[in-house]
Amino acid sequence: MSRPGPASTRSDFSHVWSIYLWIGVGVAVLVFVVVGFAIVRYRAKEGREPSRLAERNSVEIGVATLIAAIVAFLVFTTFHTEAKEDDSSRPDAVKIDVDAFQWGWKFTYPGQGVTVVGDSDDEPNFAVPAGRTISFALTSSDVIHAFWIPGQRFKKDAIPGRTNRFDMEFDGDGREQGLCSEYCGLRHSKMRFGVWVLSDSSYERWLAAHR
Amino acid sequence: MAGGAPVAVEVERGAGLERGLAWLVATDHKKTAAKIAVVSLFFFLLSGLLALTMRAELAQPGLQFVSDHTYDELFSMHGSGMIYLFLTPAALALGLYLVPLQIGASQIAAPRLALFGFWIYLIGGVSMYSGFLTDNGAGSATWTATIPLSDSAGTPGVGMDLWVIGVGLATLGSLLIAITILFTILRLRAPAMTMLRMPVFSWTMLATTFTVVAAFPVLIGAMCLLLAERHIGGIFTGSTGSIAYQHIFWFYGHPVVYVMFFPFVGAVGETVATFARKRFFGYRALVVSLLFFTALSMAVWGHHMFITGAVKNQYYALTSTMLAIPAGIEYLDLIGTMIGGALVFRAPMLFALGFILQFLIGGLTGIIVASPPLDYHVNGSYFIVAHFHYTLFAGSLFGLLAGLHYWFPKATGAMLRERLAKASFWVLVLGANLTFFPMFFLGYEGMPRRVADYEPRFGDLNLLSTIGAGVIAVGILMVLGNMVLSVRRRIPAGNDPWGAQTLEWWTTSPPPLRNFTSLPPIRSYAPLQDLREAGEEREERAEVAA
Amino acid sequence: MSAAPRERSAPRGGGGPLVAWACLQLALGAMLAIWGEEVTALLFLGGALPLLVVAAWNHRWPPSGRPRLLSRVSVPVVLLALGAGIGAIGFTGGLWLGLIGAEIAIFAAVWLAREIVLEQRAARRSAVAPPTAVAR
Repeated sequence: MSRPGPASTRSDFSHVWSIYLWIGVGVAVLVFVVVGFAIVRYRAKEGREPSRLAERNSVEIGVATLIAAIVAFLVFTTFHTEAKEDDSSRPDAVKIDVDAFQWGWKFTYPGQGVTVVGDSDDEPNFAVPAGRTISFALTSSDVIHAFWIPGQRFKKDAIPGRTNRFDMEFDGDGREQGLCSEYCGLRHSKMRFGVWVLSDSSYERWLAAHR
Repeated sequence: MAGGAPVAVEVERGAGLERGLAWLVATDHKKTAAKIAVVSLFFFLLSGLLALTMRAELAQPGLQFVSDHTYDELFSMHGSGMIYLFLTPAALALGLYLVPLQIGASQIAAPRLALFGFWIYLIGGVSMYSGFLTDNGAGSATWTATIPLSDSAGTPGVGMDLWVIGVGLATLGSLLIAITILFTILRLRAPAMTMLRMPVFSWTMLATTFTVVAAFPVLIGAMCLLLAERHIGGIFTGSTGSIAYQHIFWFYGHPVVYVMFFPFVGAVGETVATFARKRFFGYRALVVSLLFFTALSMAVWGHHMFITGAVKNQYYALTSTMLAIPAGIEYLDLIGTMIGGALVFRAPMLFALGFILQFLIGGLTGIIVASPPLDYHVNGSYFIVAHFHYTLFAGSLFGLLAGLHYWFPKATGAMLRERLAKASFWVLVLGANLTFFPMFFLGYEGMPRRVADYEPRFGDLNLLSTIGAGVIAVGILMVLGNMVLSVRRRIPAGNDPWGAQTLEWWTTSPPPLRNFTSLPPIRSYAPLQDLREAGEEREERAEVAA
Repeated sequence: MSAAPRERSAPRGGGGPLVAWACLQLALGAMLAIWGEEVTALLFLGGALPLLVVAAWNHRWPPSGRPRLLSRVSVPVVLLALGAGIGAIGFTGGLWLGLIGAEIAIFAAVWLAREIVLEQRAARRSAVAPPTAVAR
């Protein structure tokens, strides 16, 4: 099965987010407007008798069907994107092993002889080449942590005894902030890391400097 | 009398006890519900103080007032207190008080079991909070106590053990209360009250008891296993162990939020119908959607585990998103009740409208996080904090306040001060939205939850949120003050101050020990409305004849 | 106001919603088991089975509509809760606390049993006499 291209978690997120957000805002506005209308139009007034209408099953079924259709559309959108984010095991991916611990991170480039370690006193930074698939293998040495890069709109749990594999692709250049987003004890708020997104040549230089 | 309630033989026991002491051991469901209400209110205020302390700390970047470890205790006990010790028992207490009255029963089924449940819950709450008095402090592993963080190495100390035991006891108490409500509905309805003549609130309570019976025992089991893990070890080993714990926790942890929701939807439904002067719209559709909604709510728990990579994300994404269908039917019915009505905007109706519009925001953001690709970004961030505070605070608590303002006259015989109630509503609307709306942006921009300190760029929104929390505190004090004032300087309420539709308004305010001395004919889910409409028809015919 | 069609003294049915809900649980559990291949689908039985049992019990032994026995207060049941709670806290507070809790609970359980037996005797006696009998 051919894949549609490397996973860009940020663009996957944005695509799904805009669909969900606009539908959500639309529903909210609709309900607010209808309730607002009801409040004004059906205020108790002298001589107004409330109607005795207590059910209209055709309306119920119609609304349920309409909502079901929207649900189906949303779920389809979600499933389609979900499939793209599964681990691809691309042969040309850059592999990085991530080991989370209380309260820092260890990044290992298997086969490259590069390891970066840091903790809450000394924030670690690792580098990735822009535009290429990065294959992460994530685990934890103690309790459950989570590897979150807000700029990439993606996170995954780091679970002791389990390796979570996922692909990401970074664009542009500069530094992305990463942090732990699963409460893990005393220094959870200080468990941060950085990602340098570099051009291919800068990335090679970085690797050489860290061997 | 038509459709009479079963007459009860009463054994006058404990007649010699002092009045105050007799209350503690009284079996009357109304008194037990009142006891739960008082205790849950106490835990609400206590847990609320913890929240105010957290917000004071979070007002500015940096650590000003508390240490990291103390902050960990604060958010763990705030969440635990609010869920296990306040909103869940309060929701069940509302049912414990009202269901017999709504269905024409003279007493709850198994009153002693309900009394036992109250005391076990109280002891559980005391156990949890007494952790603050121990060396290592109160439970500090969040309200979920995920393994391995919550084992004896991750969170050492007696305080955490007291938390585990306390959660188990409090949940057991709630479970027993729900069981008595279930059996009351099953076996003690007035003979003319068929299931499809039960009022809306009683139906939401029935659906709630199903959820409790299915989910709460699993949590009690999880807490027993967690305690054993902490003292013996070897139960939740490896990654399968920690994932297994999450399964048995969240199997309870999701349905419980619906236990804290459905009774208040019912309260709002009754309130809207009464103040629209119209019977509830779409009753049968509501009954069907309640059964689907509660059943489905048992099948979504894995959405709390999307980022573990250890569950079938697609199944849970589907079931979680499908919740929109029965939720939409309930909204349709609420709106349908208003349309064509003659709306009167007394305080209960304001709180009901607040619930309808604010819960919507929580619910819609819930649909957002039901999508794994979206959850991958916002899970564990303040977006989630905003989502569940919109559903639980701006939603459920407003629903609770609607029910409180609606049924206070029935329970106490006194009216609440209307202007003060309306003012407190507006203060709480301002406070709730000021506190929680900024959190959507904080989370989206990258602020994680459960942190005492954060990046300086998040300072402004956090300050806004803290100001909002102060406004909430003022609003809550106004509500409490209203309640105290209204029982001190009473304005008598009479049987039916609102012109309501269901059986509890037929009897006196407050109801006598055996709830009813007579019952009206019961031919629908709004018997008093039936009487009113029949009376109007008679008048019209008399006018025509004249 | 039309005459009531039939004087009944006890509610009928009620089990329908329980059975319906239990079936929904089984369906959702089956879907998870088949599609998700998760053993956690077994958890759905925890809701379905008790409700089916209760519905069956309610059908087989419907309420009689007879007057119910009600006691205004119950001291032993409160003591039982206190004993059980204290005993549970003993799991961490120490064996001594667990034993004290258990002793209180056992004492209370015996007292409660006695209270219930005495009440049932009093109720049988008053079933012969007119309702609202008073007994100590």
